[in-house]
Amino acid sequence: MSSPFSINGGAAVAMVGKDCVAIACDLRLGLQALTVSNNFPKIFQYGDVFLGLTGLATDVSTVSDLFRYKVNMYRLREERDIAPRTFANLVSSSLYEKRFGPYFVSPVVAGLDPKTGVPFICGFDSIGCIDFAKDFIVSGTATEQLFGMCESLWEPDMSPDELFETISQSLLNAVDRDALSGWGAHVYIIEKDKVTKRLLKGRQD
Amino acid sequence: MADRYSFSLTTFSPSGKLVQIEYALNAVNQGVTALGIKATNGIVLATEKKSSSPLADPSSLSKISLITPNIGMVYSGMGPDYRVLVDRARKVSHTGYKRIYNEYPPTRILVQDVARVMQEATQSGGVRPYGVSLLIAGWDEGILPEEEEGSAKTEVVITGEDGEKKKVSGKTGGILKGGPMLYQVDPSGSYFPWKATAIGKSATTAKTFLEKRYAEGLELEDAVHIALLTLKETIEGEMNGETIEIGIVGPPADHLLGVEGVEGAKGPRFRKLTPQEIEDYLTNL
Amino acid sequence: MYADHSFREILLGITGKDFTLMAASKAAMRGATILKASDDKTRQLNKHTLMLYSGEAGDTVQFAEYIQANAQLYSMRNDSDLSPSALAHFVRGELAISLRSRKPYNVNLLLGGVDPITHKPSLYWLDYLASLASLPYAAHGYAQYYCLSILDKHHHPDITLGQGIKLLTMCIDELKRRLPVDFKGMTVKAVTKDGIVDIEFDDDKVVKSA
Repeated sequence: MSSPFSINGGAAVAMVGKDCVAIACDLRLGLQALTVSNNFPKIFQYGDVFLGLTGLATDVSTVSDLFRYKVNMYRLREERDIAPRTFANLVSSSLYEKRFGPYFVSPVVAGLDPKTGVPFICGFDSIGCIDFAKDFIVSGTATEQLFGMCESLWEPDMSPDELFETISQSLLNAVDRDALSGWGAHVYIIEKDKVTKRLLKGRQD
Repeated sequence: MADRYSFSLTTFSPSGKLVQIEYALNAVNQGVTALGIKATNGIVLATEKKSSSPLADPSSLSKISLITPNIGMVYSGMGPDYRVLVDRARKVSHTGYKRIYNEYPPTRILVQDVARVMQEATQSGGVRPYGVSLLIAGWDEGILPEEEEGSAKTEVVITGEDGEKKKVSGKTGGILKGGPMLYQVDPSGSYFPWKATAIGKSATTAKTFLEKRYAEGLELEDAVHIALLTLKETIEGEMNGETIEIGIVGPPADHLLGVEGVEGAKGPRFRKLTPQEIEDYLTNL
Repeated sequence: MYADHSFREILLGITGKDFTLMAASKAAMRGATILKASDDKTRQLNKHTLMLYSGEAGDTVQFAEYIQANAQLYSMRNDSDLSPSALAHFVRGELAISLRSRKPYNVNLLLGGVDPITHKPSLYWLDYLASLASLPYAAHGYAQYYCLSILDKHHHPDITLGQGIKLLTMCIDELKRRLPVDFKGMTVKAVTKDGIVDIEFDDDKVVKSA
């Protein structure tokens, strides 16, 4: 009932396409059944790497700020952008550092390998166990619905346009069956030299 | 009690010098010569292995050390201080990097970590600077896409002795592009990237020799050859597989992996040459 | 126990074209008893930022004055004020640190301001978990359930201060109509580019129950 993971609500999903990846989130911030804000994005961009965070809103902010700091320090130290896989391992070790007092978040990472251009997505539990996936990763209070949507709509080697349609329909239809998610969405389509961010209005009820 | 002597022992002289650091450099300049040469496809580190007594067992002495699978290190100066730094370098490459990112540090990052350890010894209370200079050689993977054959802008074509044309890229590395990296670290904590250099007793002679023999676009085999020639100029004792130590950074040595058929597994690029391998190079000198 | 009274405390904030209107109930409660009918649940952080607070007695004033002192210290040291956005993120940071301490502050906040440079009004909603949201209008406690739907219907981002006060009156009338306990009227203040002004508000207006 009052699990820290479902107080504020929210959903995020990442998907792999052909030479592209997508990541999307809803925009709701709530307090149990009451919606407080319909403009609370849960995807954060660090260079060419994207992080989706669902769970307790305070930890979404804290953790996104923490990784902004860590990635900026990495860039200054190494004089290069962090690669998605390296970032994923950083997320994992940072979360496990708080093993006995965790951040109540379920992160999702998406990006393209800077060297090979191969799509990379993965998800985590709140203490940093990585879930590598070849197809899609879901997270948040609408995970069951998202699993159903992704499992039925996703197919291999989608073009950026097909991927956008698939991830958008998956998210939109999943959150419509979850009382704690929805109220608009952000969708990012990541290609080799282009990132497209789209704002979906979604149902405002 | 401990804090009674925790004031800095390294203090400025009126002329603005830190004489403790200069004394440390004196220790380095009395040390056995060590050298490093960067090639297009690797690096060689070489030094003389001098034993104080004919009764000593040379196979138990090791001056070139593996730090990470792709990074090796050699020194000139005080052996015990070097061992401490090898331990610290190996430890920090895990605590400060592999345990965080699940990959080994790029050479420059490792060099900076070791340099920080050495710098702290010049400003901390109750300690003396390390009496060693280091040569750190490593290979970085880089994050830029692999350049396509023939598209390199800095490409130079030189004609080999046998008339066969070799393609040569003018630059080796850079953290984005990856490739071989060679650094020197001094007791002060300052560090320098080199194409080729030497430290220790005959560093000046060796460097003059290297300046003459070094050429842009060297390959690893040539570099090993030049390393041995340089060492020969300065060496005091006999030159053989027992008295010379060589470490190379080259192509991944998959035979050292211990397993076969593991997808994506890459062998270490850094490895030490066996006495037999050194003998083979010496016979071809 | 404390959750009960903090939900009965009313904090309201409404932004408009060039102002942020802030209102807090005047009743200080403990259990079923009203201890005071002229409680001030507001603190001014600098010339154009006002903070409203509700929550556990003791924590509220302690935390609010800690924030106020830090905001004033910044202004004295730097001869310039922190923007409402900077303050909101500072407060969130302090609350987030507190949340994972041995005894977290139980404080809910509204932070209203007008940016000293752009003159853009802003309103930040913060709960005791340090969840931060920037909103056009906001409330805390039971007031949320009654007022947000009214504001959803009637609020526009470019309303004048007069329209804002009218909207606020609608909200407070509804609270008087629906809440079972008298909250002893409201302290109302408006943040504008010229600073914070007290708004005269008729607390004696009687609203008949439905």
